[in-house]
Amino acid sequence: MSGDKIGTDNLNTKLISVKRYLPDRSTEPYWQSFELPVDDSTSLLDALNHIKEQLDSTLSYRWSCRMAICGSCGVMVNGIPKLGCKTFLRDYDGEIRIEPLAHFPVQRDLVVDMEIFLEHLAAVKPYLIDDNPVKPFDPAAPQTYQQSPAQLARYKQFANCINCGLCYSACPQFGLNPEFRGPAAIALAHRYNLDSRDHGKKQRMAELNRHEGVWSCTFVGFCSKVCPKHVDPAAAVNQGKVEAAKHTLIALFKG
Amino acid sequence: MDKSSSQRFDPLTRTWWLKHRFFKLYMVREATVLPLVFFILCLLAGFVSLLQGADSWQGWVAFMGSPIVLALNLLALAASLFHAATFFVLFPRVMPLRIAGHRLPDNMIVAGQWAGVLAVALLFFWLLGRA
Repeated sequence: MSGDKIGTDNLNTKLISVKRYLPDRSTEPYWQSFELPVDDSTSLLDALNHIKEQLDSTLSYRWSCRMAICGSCGVMVNGIPKLGCKTFLRDYDGEIRIEPLAHFPVQRDLVVDMEIFLEHLAAVKPYLIDDNPVKPFDPAAPQTYQQSPAQLARYKQFANCINCGLCYSACPQFGLNPEFRGPAAIALAHRYNLDSRDHGKKQRMAELNRHEGVWSCTFVGFCSKVCPKHVDPAAAVNQGKVEAAKHTLIALFKG
Repeated sequence: MDKSSSQRFDPLTRTWWLKHRFFKLYMVREATVLPLVFFILCLLAGFVSLLQGADSWQGWVAFMGSPIVLALNLLALAASLFHAATFFVLFPRVMPLRIAGHRLPDNMIVAGQWAGVLAVALLFFWLLGRA
């Protein structure tokens, strides 16, 4: 967009091609084109809803919040992973090609199976682990979970992940080896490792400090480029490498 | 019905990195190692010829002066500078430095690394200029 004003009176038609896959009809995917009316405010999710409601009700896709917080509507737009609700057709000239998120098994049309991502997420224990022994009640003791703004600032960026999976579709290492824990899971592990209230770093390191953990990453960096919440998972993974190297060295000297 | 039996999966092809500009740029960054390997081999050959005596050394000097070798080594220099430029930008993201509780701005870390390159380069110009 140049300096043109964005308006809803700027009506237009655009061509969208969707990669369809209907396993109950055919084992082969195929491309289907739709021409639809758009204005400057039309998001890709609006366009998919228009197709489903007006043109072809058999189209399947996921969505929920329409405001880039639920992380459901990720698709490939001209080969780049994007959230449908955060992508506006005004930014595209010519044909727009929509595919399901790359590197995941496709169940139907734009719906992928994210099971493996959820497994990776669970494996890194993305929650506060407090292994302090239970102490008898002490009214004079400070409150258990106090945190200063400075302590919060250390991990806040990595806490903004919405689990949309765009970074997994951007990561060629995950595409080559789905056992790689991947950007979002490692970013979330790093977020808890940086949290002053957490004591679970040792448990997570066993998961991170191995080939399928941080060491599969070659810092392609595309995960951070596509992240809709600016989490910068590539930075988290590579800070994780530094931590993993420290962990190895310390373990070496402790025997 | 078993849910996995009806799923389709597109495995990555060998040409995955040709898909768009960002991946190509990544592969260029990784490929900078190839001209650098050539430079390292030249350097090793120089050490060997130095041990073998004057004739061998003169031969190596002549070899290094040939236009194609000069061109390849200039390419290696350009490649290493390009790699440095991409690497220096990544550094503050991998190792954010903190001084007295405050995060050092990224561009200061990048500038510091280039200052280091300049210092090493000047040191070598001075050493070689004296010889």
